[in-house]
Amino acid sequence: MTAIKTVDLTKKDNDLAAGDKLNLEIEEGELFSLLGVNGAGKTTTIKMLSTLTAPTSGEAYVLGHDVKTESDKVKEVIDVSMQETAIARKLTVEENVEFYAALSGQSKTEIETTKEYVFEAFSLKEVARRRACTLSGGWQRKLSIALALVTKPKILFLDEPTLGLDVIARRELWKTIRELKSKMTIILTTHYMEEAEALSDRIGVMKDGKLLFVGTKEEMFNVSGKSSVEDAFIEIVSGGEALV
Amino acid sequence: MYKSINRVFVLTKRNIKEILRDPLSLAFTVALPLVMQILFYLIFHNLTTQFEMRYLAPGIVVFSQSFLTLFTGLLISVDRKTAFLTRLYVSSAKPHEFISGYALSVLPIAIFQSILFFLVGGVFDASLFSVKTLAAVGLSVITSLFFIAAGILFGSICGEKSVGGITSIVITGQSVLSGMWFPLEGMGGGIITFMNVLPFKNATALVKNTVNGIADVASDFLYPLIIVLLYTLITFSAAIFAFKKKMKDN
Repeated sequence: MTAIKTVDLTKKDNDLAAGDKLNLEIEEGELFSLLGVNGAGKTTTIKMLSTLTAPTSGEAYVLGHDVKTESDKVKEVIDVSMQETAIARKLTVEENVEFYAALSGQSKTEIETTKEYVFEAFSLKEVARRRACTLSGGWQRKLSIALALVTKPKILFLDEPTLGLDVIARRELWKTIRELKSKMTIILTTHYMEEAEALSDRIGVMKDGKLLFVGTKEEMFNVSGKSSVEDAFIEIVSGGEALV
Repeated sequence: MYKSINRVFVLTKRNIKEILRDPLSLAFTVALPLVMQILFYLIFHNLTTQFEMRYLAPGIVVFSQSFLTLFTGLLISVDRKTAFLTRLYVSSAKPHEFISGYALSVLPIAIFQSILFFLVGGVFDASLFSVKTLAAVGLSVITSLFFIAAGILFGSICGEKSVGGITSIVITGQSVLSGMWFPLEGMGGGIITFMNVLPFKNATALVKNTVNGIADVASDFLYPLIIVLLYTLITFSAAIFAFKKKMKDN
């Protein structure tokens, strides 16, 4: 079944297109990476798909629900972890999870089950009683992403999930994301090429709001004539003009 | 309906925890006005009737509420800055539930302020232990709603760094334009007219008159009540509009 479908999806701000006639189909269970340099329109695309910002024109469907007219239904099946760490800083890790689970309407028993699941998936048990503001940046980021799992979404949007993490924390998070792959559809934005290479089933390359390429790594290599995601990405976004 | 009430309850509970864990804000809303109440009474009450406890305590109650504007504004602007609110926008919660969650979490502090400052006032002037004071506590809940609404409005439109400066307008307004620190009789007609159409003097007058007895229902009670209610309604409407707009502009 199609998890996400967009038809000419466009977002313009002061005539500047952050998303320009995007046509995209993502299947359920897929891990799809959106690659692009800063300002390519990756975050805007995620915001449109997650109902956080309204498209200027075009259509987008999330598990068959129209993002413009059925935003409540879309919100029931998705969750988002934004680039910025989004946690309640003065609550403990445990209270953050409890709060977000309760807000999504879970019962006390369900909240307990959710806590166990999230603590296990992100190894948060050791810091459960600590206030979020006392955690290191890496742990805060981990908690922020973990909160997106609290609602047990069918589609998870991860916007630059490893931004600012050290190499060890990044690899740990990759491991967690790989484990989540079988359980939900994941749409991930990143500008780390190795991240897209290591995790993705398919990759979309964006530049200036346009989707320049969609396909598997192998297809990316074939189209670009290169043998690494980084070289292929540079080839695609530079339109074949060598940058070095 | 049940789901909506539950979400408001969950949001309120979270906000209360955040508030209680911020000692600096609590110091401003409770400790500072308390020190001012006691000091000003001890120093000035023999010099001018303005600082007799039956006038000072109601003034302090409403003055302390102006810090709720700063308090609420900071809470919301920090939530916005940390993308915490963006995360919540993806939940099923609606703008009015967010606003109710913020308002309801600050309201208990307003009630606590009111009871505390009247109790402390009663220690210096036992006549404050009266049914009129109880009614004044009830009315102070209404006046606090104006300051909370202003906090929600400023928190929705200002950043974390600017919200302090902007909300200080309300605090200064309540301090200077309420007539709590100096008698208004000596002021020119134009200034008095200006003060009469603003919420600050009327909020103080509403609580002060209720404590000290209402001589004329229309001018001592109904007029200030209507002005405060009008400002509360307008400010809440503006706050809801600004909050919704920020959600859309995300």
